[in-house]
Amino acid sequence: MATVKVKVDGREVVVEKGTNLVETVKKAGIFMPHFCYHPGLPVVGVCRICLCEIEGRPKLVAGCATGAEEGMSIITRSDAVRDARAAVMEFLLIHHPLDCPMCDKGGECTLQDYTMAMGAAHTRFTFRKNTWPHEDVGGKLVLDKNRCILCMRCVNLCSDVAGQDEIAVMSRGEETYIGTIGGRKIENELAGNIADICPVGALTSKDFRFEARPWELTNVKSICTLCSKGCNTVVGFHPRRNKVLRVTARENMEVNKWWICDRGRGQFHNVHDVVRIPQPVRRVNGAERTAGWPEAIAEIASGIRETIARHGPDSVGVIASAELTNEEQFLTGRIFRDGLRLMNLDFPARPQPPVVYPKFTIEGDRNPNTRGANLLGGKAGRGGRSVGDIITAAAEGRIRTLLFLRGGPPEQFGDPTVVGRALDRAATVIVVDYATSAVTEMAHWVLPGVSHFEKDGTFINSQGRVQRARKVFTLRGDTREEWRILQDLGAALGVLNETDPSAEAIFDRIARTVPAFAGLSYTALGDMGAPLQSATANVAVG
Amino acid sequence: MATATFEPVLMRTVGLRDSHTLDVYRKHDGYEGLRIALSKSPDEVIDIVKRSGLRGRGGAGFPTGTKWGFVPKATDKPKYMCVNADESEPGAFKDRLICQKDPHQLLEGTLIGSYAIGASRAYIYIRGEFAAEAEILSRAIEEARQAGLVGRNILGSGYDCEVTMYVGAGAYICGEETGLIESLEGKRGWPRLKPPFPAVVGLFQCPTVVNNVETLACVPHIVRRGWEWFAGIGPERNSGPKLYGLSGHVNKPGVYEAPMGTPLRVLIDEFGGGVPGGRPIKAVIPGGASCPVLRGEEIDIPMDFDSLTRAGSLFGTGTPVVMDDTVCMVRAAWITARFFTHESCGQCTPCREGTGWIQRLLWKIETGEGTERDLGILLSVTDNIEGNTICALGDAAAWPARGFVKKFKDEFLQHIREKRCPLDGGSLH
Repeated sequence: MATVKVKVDGREVVVEKGTNLVETVKKAGIFMPHFCYHPGLPVVGVCRICLCEIEGRPKLVAGCATGAEEGMSIITRSDAVRDARAAVMEFLLIHHPLDCPMCDKGGECTLQDYTMAMGAAHTRFTFRKNTWPHEDVGGKLVLDKNRCILCMRCVNLCSDVAGQDEIAVMSRGEETYIGTIGGRKIENELAGNIADICPVGALTSKDFRFEARPWELTNVKSICTLCSKGCNTVVGFHPRRNKVLRVTARENMEVNKWWICDRGRGQFHNVHDVVRIPQPVRRVNGAERTAGWPEAIAEIASGIRETIARHGPDSVGVIASAELTNEEQFLTGRIFRDGLRLMNLDFPARPQPPVVYPKFTIEGDRNPNTRGANLLGGKAGRGGRSVGDIITAAAEGRIRTLLFLRGGPPEQFGDPTVVGRALDRAATVIVVDYATSAVTEMAHWVLPGVSHFEKDGTFINSQGRVQRARKVFTLRGDTREEWRILQDLGAALGVLNETDPSAEAIFDRIARTVPAFAGLSYTALGDMGAPLQSATANVAVG
Repeated sequence: MATATFEPVLMRTVGLRDSHTLDVYRKHDGYEGLRIALSKSPDEVIDIVKRSGLRGRGGAGFPTGTKWGFVPKATDKPKYMCVNADESEPGAFKDRLICQKDPHQLLEGTLIGSYAIGASRAYIYIRGEFAAEAEILSRAIEEARQAGLVGRNILGSGYDCEVTMYVGAGAYICGEETGLIESLEGKRGWPRLKPPFPAVVGLFQCPTVVNNVETLACVPHIVRRGWEWFAGIGPERNSGPKLYGLSGHVNKPGVYEAPMGTPLRVLIDEFGGGVPGGRPIKAVIPGGASCPVLRGEEIDIPMDFDSLTRAGSLFGTGTPVVMDDTVCMVRAAWITARFFTHESCGQCTPCREGTGWIQRLLWKIETGEGTERDLGILLSVTDNIEGNTICALGDAAAWPARGFVKKFKDEFLQHIREKRCPLDGGSLH
C-alpha cells in the first residue's frame, strides 16, 4: 500500500494513501473530535464534528469521509473549523437533557468530554426541548432517546458487525429516532457492544445501569475465558463493594477487534452469583467438616500415594479442565503425567456449534485453553485414556481415586448416570473448584479454588496466541489459586521439587523448558499477548 | 422584448387535445431527435449537448453535457440514467406539466441521454403525490415500448434501453440526487456523502446520471434543431428556452415558456397579468422556496442562473412566487422554515437540529415574543448550518431565512418593537 505525506496544522505525517482524516490527524498527535466515526463501522459522516479544512478547498470536509492524498494540508486549528465544531456542539445539545449527574455514561461520555473541551457554557436555545419516553430495546440495553445524537453506531453495529437489521433510524427531521424494527427486541449476542460504543448515554447496559459511576471502578485489562477466542476485555471492579460490575471490550486487532459477545460481558455474574466454597471441606461417610489447607494437602497426597502403592497407577484418575491456565496445565503435566506417570489423565472437550456473525465469531470450542492443555499436560501421553474411559473405569470400580480440577455439571464428563455411579463408587473423590456443583456435592474432598477473575495466568486461544488474564480481586475465604494448590500437592506427592512464587515465575519456567514457548516472557506478553512459535504450536506434546 | 419572436418548444403541444399520446407527439416531430441521436456516436451526442450550453433545470444549473461526460467510458459496470421527476420545491410545478401533458418529450430526452452515457436502463423517479402523472407516464412508456421506442433494438439501431418508472413516497429529500438514488435502491432517502459522485458511484454502485425532467425535455430539440439554435436563445452561458412557473399574487398563475434571461417583471406583468387589484409587489421568491427573496423593487432582473446569483439570490427552478403588500415577511419566512424543518431528513446534525431552531425563532418573532437577540441568534444559526451539512438541504433552509431577514429587517424589527405582527399575520396562513 502506497504511503503519502500530508501536513496536519503544519506538522508532517506519513500515512497510507486514503487513510481517513480522523485517523490521519490522530496520527499526527492532534486532537480530532468524532462521534459517529468508529474504526470498526462503516463511515456515515453524519455527526459533522470532524469537519476540517483542506488548504485550497473552499468548503470544510468531514474528516471521516475524506481520504489522505499526497501533499494534502489539513487544518484543524482555524477559525472556520473552531466555529463549525462549536456549531455542531451547540446543535447536539439543544434538545439534550443535560442530565449528566444521573446518566450512566457520565464520566466516560464523549459528548460530555467534548462539551467540557469546546462547548459553550450557556445555551442560546430557549425553547421547550423535544422529549421521548425510555424504551427497552432488548439486548440488555435501555434506550434513552433524549440523549441520542443519532450517530448510528448502534444501527451499524447490528447491521454490519452482527448482520442483523434489528434497529433502524425512524421518522425524519428533528423527530428522527432510533427504534427497533417491527417492535421486536434486539436479540443478537453482540448487542452489548452498543453500550460500549454509544458516544452518549442513549443506549446503556441494563446490567450496569445505576450500579456505579464509571470513575469508581478499577479497570483491569484481562481476557474472557468463555470460549477459545480469548477476547480482550476490561474488567470493571468496584473496590468498595468488592465486586465486578461490568466487563467491556478491549481493542485487540489480532483477536477480537473492538468487540466481545454478551456471554463474555455477563461472565462475572457466574463468579458472584454462584455458591462459593470458602474453605476446604472433608466428607467422611456423609459427615462433613471443614479442614485446614496443610491437613487437606497432606491427607490427599498420602491417599493418592497409598492408592498407587496398593493398586497401581491405573487406580488413580485425574480430569483437569481446559479452563485452567497454562501454568496450571504445566503443573498438572509435571505432577500427574511426568511425576506419577498416570495414564488416566484428560480434560473434557466442550464443543458446541460456533455462533457466526459476519464480523465476529463466538468459537465452538468453549474451553478457553484447549491448546494449553494439549501442549502442557492436561492429557496423558500415548496410550492415555479419555475422560469417557476414566469415568467408565471409575464406575466399574477400577479407579479408586478421582481428582477433578474444576467440577461443574456432570454432563460434561459423560452420561450423568454413569458419572454419578463413578462418583459414588470411587473411594476418594477430590474436587478443586470455586463453586459448588453436583460434583462437589459428591466429593470426599473439596478444595476451594478461584475463578479466573481472582488469579493471574495465561491462556492460549484458538489461533495459538498466548494472552494474560489478570487477577482482579480476592474474595473473602480461604481460597487458593489452582497453581498454588497444584504446587503444594506436587511437593507433598514428592514429584515436584521447585516452588514458584507467582504465575509469572511459572510462565517464565515454561518459556525456558517448553520449546513451543521459546522466546516468550510473561512481561513481554503485555496487554496484547503474543503468538506461540508457529512451527511447534500445533503439535501436542506426547 | 424578445418574447415576441420566441416560438415555444417545450410547450408546443401542451394545448392540443391528447397531447400526451404518441400519435400527437409524433405528428410534431416526436422521436425525430432520438432517430438523429442514434445515427450519431454517443460522444457526438454529448458534444452537441455540451455546445448547446444546456444547464440543469433542477435548480443547481450544472452543465448537462459536462455531467454526461463524467461517466467513465472504460468500465464493465452497467450505467444508469435516472430521471428526477420528484419535483417538490415549493413554488415549482413545471416538471409536472411535462409529465402530464407531454410525457413522450421526457421519454425521448431520457432515451437520448441514456444512449449518450451508454446506459441501457433508465429509471424515472416520480414524486409520490403525482399519482395522475405517474399513470400517464406509465401509459406513455407502454405506448413507446409497443412502438419499438423503448426496449430492444430501438428504431432498428441495435441500441437497447429499458425505461422503468418508480413512484416515490413523497419526501422532498428524495429530489436530492443521491437521496433519490438511495430511495430508488429501496432504502431511506438519505443523501450520500460526496465524493464519490453518482457519475462514478451511483445507483447500485454503478455510474449514474441524474437529470431533471425539464433538462431532458430540452434534449430532443437540441439534437433535432442543432446546438446553435439552443445556444442562440437567452443570455450567454444561460441558454435555451425555459419553463417558468408563476404563482402567488398574480392574476394568471401557471407555467409559461420563455427564453432564459426573461426579466422577472416581464414574467409577472406580461405572462402573469400583474398583481390582483394592482397591489404593489412586496417580494418575490424567484426560483422556489430555497432561493433568497427579492424585494419588489429588485424585479427588473433577467431570470437566469448567473444574473440571480449576482443579485445574491438563486435562479433555482425558475418558478417565481409573487407576494403583494398583504403578506407578512416574517410569516412567509416561517412558512418556508416550517417546510424545511418538516423535510429535513434528520441525517446530519446541523440541518436536523438547526432547521427546527430557525422555525421556532421565526414563530417567536411572528407572535410578538421575539427580541433583537433572537434575530441575532437566527442569523447565527443559519451561518452554523450553511456549508456544514451532507447535502444542500441545510443550505436551502439557511439561505431563505437569512434572505428574509436581510431584505426585510425593518419588518422583523417592527415585530419585535411592537410585540405583535403589524399585519396581523398577513394574508398567508
